[in-house]
Amino acid sequence: MNRLLAAGDPLLNGPIDLTVVLIVIGKTVAIFAFLLVAVMFYVWFMRKVIADMQNRVGPDTAGPWGLLQTLADGIKLFFKEQSVPDTADRRVFFLAPYISLMTAFLAFAIVPIGGKVSIAGHWTYIQLADIPIGILFLLMMSGLGLYGVMLAGWASGSKYPLLGSVRASAQLLSYEAAFGLAIVGVLLQTRTLSTRAIAEQQSWTGITSLGRWYVIPAFIAFVIYIISAVAETNHPPFDLVEAEQELVGGFHTEYTGIRFAIFFLAEFMNLITMSAIAVTLFLGGPSGPSLGFLPADNPVNTWLMPIFWFVAKLLALLFGTVWIRASLPRLRYDQLMDLGWKWLIELAFLWIMVSGTIIVGRDQGWNLFLVVPATVVGAIAVLGLLRLSMPKRSEFLEEIR
Amino acid sequence: MTHIEDTFERLEHQTSEGAQELKPHHEIVVAGGPWPELEGEGQTMIINMGPSHPSTHGVLRIMMELDGETVVRAKPIIGYLHTGMEKTGEELTYVQGGTNVTRMDYLSPLSNELVFATAVEQLLDLEIPERAVWMRMMLAELNRISSHLLFQATNGMDIGAVSMMIFGWREREEVLRVLEMITGLRMNHNFIRVGGLAADLPDGWQDAILEVCDIVEAGVADYDTILSENPIWQERLMGVGVLTTQQCLDLSITGPLLRSTGYPWDLRKAQPYLAYDQVEFDVIYTDNGDCYDRYRIRLYEILESVRIVRQCVARMPGGDYRVQDKKVTPPPRARIDESMEALIHHFKLFTEGFRVPAGETYASIESPRGEIGCYVVSDGTGKPVRMHVRGPSFYNLQAMSPMMENRLVADAVAIISTVDPIMGEVDR
Amino acid sequence: MGRFSGFGVTLKQMFKPRVTGDYPTTKRPKPDRFHGRHVLNRYEDGMEKCIGCELCAGVCPAKCIYVRGADNPPDAPVSPGERYGFVYEINYLRCIHCDMCVEACPTEAITESKLFEFSFENRADAIYTKAELLVDDEGRARRQPWELWLGDEDDRTSGWMRATSPAGDADYEGRVNWSGELGFGVRDPEQGQSA
Repeated sequence: MNRLLAAGDPLLNGPIDLTVVLIVIGKTVAIFAFLLVAVMFYVWFMRKVIADMQNRVGPDTAGPWGLLQTLADGIKLFFKEQSVPDTADRRVFFLAPYISLMTAFLAFAIVPIGGKVSIAGHWTYIQLADIPIGILFLLMMSGLGLYGVMLAGWASGSKYPLLGSVRASAQLLSYEAAFGLAIVGVLLQTRTLSTRAIAEQQSWTGITSLGRWYVIPAFIAFVIYIISAVAETNHPPFDLVEAEQELVGGFHTEYTGIRFAIFFLAEFMNLITMSAIAVTLFLGGPSGPSLGFLPADNPVNTWLMPIFWFVAKLLALLFGTVWIRASLPRLRYDQLMDLGWKWLIELAFLWIMVSGTIIVGRDQGWNLFLVVPATVVGAIAVLGLLRLSMPKRSEFLEEIR
Repeated sequence: MTHIEDTFERLEHQTSEGAQELKPHHEIVVAGGPWPELEGEGQTMIINMGPSHPSTHGVLRIMMELDGETVVRAKPIIGYLHTGMEKTGEELTYVQGGTNVTRMDYLSPLSNELVFATAVEQLLDLEIPERAVWMRMMLAELNRISSHLLFQATNGMDIGAVSMMIFGWREREEVLRVLEMITGLRMNHNFIRVGGLAADLPDGWQDAILEVCDIVEAGVADYDTILSENPIWQERLMGVGVLTTQQCLDLSITGPLLRSTGYPWDLRKAQPYLAYDQVEFDVIYTDNGDCYDRYRIRLYEILESVRIVRQCVARMPGGDYRVQDKKVTPPPRARIDESMEALIHHFKLFTEGFRVPAGETYASIESPRGEIGCYVVSDGTGKPVRMHVRGPSFYNLQAMSPMMENRLVADAVAIISTVDPIMGEVDR
Repeated sequence: MGRFSGFGVTLKQMFKPRVTGDYPTTKRPKPDRFHGRHVLNRYEDGMEKCIGCELCAGVCPAKCIYVRGADNPPDAPVSPGERYGFVYEINYLRCIHCDMCVEACPTEAITESKLFEFSFENRADAIYTKAELLVDDEGRARRQPWELWLGDEDDRTSGWMRATSPAGDADYEGRVNWSGELGFGVRDPEQGQSA
């Protein structure tokens, strides 16, 4: 166990005494709080930005600039009556929101938020756990999170939630594949599963280190990751699971009060986690220029700047999700499957092939000027063949008729 | 396993209120087919969309039989907004009648008032003044703009484009503000009266209307940019809910639904009323008959209406705006204090209204949703014996069953949305 | 027009002014003709305009007005003339604000203000009696605790009446056809086509 956890974090390499335990507990609480505040802030941010994009004012009453609106909503939902349908499977019905919440919390544990700091004489990372299999852990948690949504719909004993949960299982499963493959597309280059190690590979050494951020060498993987992550978190335009206009509320139709709030909390946490992972994998994590006029070991440079860069990148990505939410209509179910299975997975495979060949070629000392065009042409040929082999849409419709 | 017993107990206590039989498809649709045969019983699920559902535009209830997410058959059920307005119409004088009919299609109240007033004027054999004709036309077109803008908003929302909802509402609000300035109310105006209009245009109306025309045109350009070319939007609407001209004619479907099938039937051109033969505008029609075409038709009809409104502003004639018939029109306020006869007319009009010669008539105009007609029977008294309104939504609603067959639930939502039914008009 | 230019539209809006406002604290100005909560007017000398003729009750399509007239007490007349509105009630649970009553009233006694924000806590409050409808000694509407009046919203009470020349006769536009109101005197008519 110790070896498993101790992979990167110097805190756990030495003897484990009370201080270390306290530091770990402190970090847990701090990151828990960070995530809660982040969700609160994100909901406010989303509502404000989307209001701006729609010429509205947005929340402005609770707290300064409406900052406490989410808190007010949470308090209201907490004191609301919680109804349970007669036909519900009560135990699962009660359990489901917590499954969603727990997996959402756990997934965030592997995100490196800041750099290496010293607390009470112990060196540690601003990250809850640097597991050697970090990325697999993320996939595991996002896979488990599906159960929360699926069981909620199933246990409600009602028709719209049932449809929602069926949609959820299919959607999350298919996009899990594209999501995983997108990550593989970048893991080929990182050659490690530890999020800390990935972040360190992209650490800041000057403006040229921008080229080492994996968003550039693995751009296609980045695009696939973003699309499938938005779909994984049921965010518009992929919010079919809870499509209000079609399924009323989807899997959470029958949920009221705090349990409903927990679903929302989990959903937004997932979104933040996914964006944070995107920052780690593709945008260099907490790396960025530190303040040059201060010494490198100044607390501002060791503590604050990495967190600042992390949050700034996170915000940029979150703004993107809000922008998408404001601009795109919702996909239909079959189009969603179409996009997932026929485009994203296909592209991700081709990307893996291309980048795999290039990496092997580089390691073996092949002539890259020959290898790169050859693989790209090969990939395009394979793509063309694949697309030709697919039935045309019109033929498909004909077949249905 | 206590809760299973509870379930049975609950089922025993269920009432049959609202229960409906979902009849085999061939009994409920007159067009379409051939219908697929189901494989075995119990493979499908019956689900009620509405009467309280976010995308059923009020209180429409659609009973669907689903095979997975595919709609095997669907049946619209109406009556949840039945307020007996046609019956109420028999209790109100012709003077009060406008307040009643205006509430049927609450998104285009002025069309309702116009058709009612036109019908009664036909019975009275009245020739209304030129200015009233042009004012009515301008108001009806402004109303068409506001109604189609609301369609753009709700349609966007139903397809999941959240910003579109606010954008559509934004421009509609500007149009309603102009209507509010003219009529005093945002909706249910009671402004078009038998014999003319309730009041003349307010001071500064030209500027207000021209300004709103510019705003609406800018808004339409925005919608066009945000939606028309968007691949998701096209995928969601193109080829969905296809109707043919024959189906439309079989089911008495009118308005944008009919025009989307390539049949340019618009009463404004086909049977010109008011002064529609004197203004320039085009009837928008397309050939595919799908949801996307219905969306486009309504979008471009907004621009055509703006065109008409601009011509109305430019060519608005002066003079009286109400027919000068002492039996139909109340006297000027100043005359009440001067003339005993005027006072008597005033009292008679506002208590028993005016008498309409016995007879029956049918008038129809093009409302934003299609042909709205009003059938009035008079027995010579101050109140109609029968007042029936042909609400286009009621007939258009029947297109839903054939359109929804074999489509997904998400398509059903798009179909409901592009049929654009107003339940107040359906149930009356 | 690109396939994804919708993103530009939404982004563009961020730099445009907001169309919504700070509603309960500020209100958008209402147009002159707006139909709101009624007031019962008085003449400039303080006499009530209502003569209890029940025309408003008769024309009301929603049947929400109840009026009973009574003879004026000779020593302390309430209104000029023989009779006055002894009972005057409007049930706002029924009222549809069509303003037929305003058009029908021969003495311009009943007009509508610009207020529509009144949320009653019980049905009895919804029935406004003369005590609530009649303007106060300055000619302003009596503000009820459940109504949301802001600023001097109550000084424009007779817009619809002044807009309406019910005869539809262009010759009567721009002419004063009504008597003065307590506190405000004779208000100007809309100019209409006479301008």
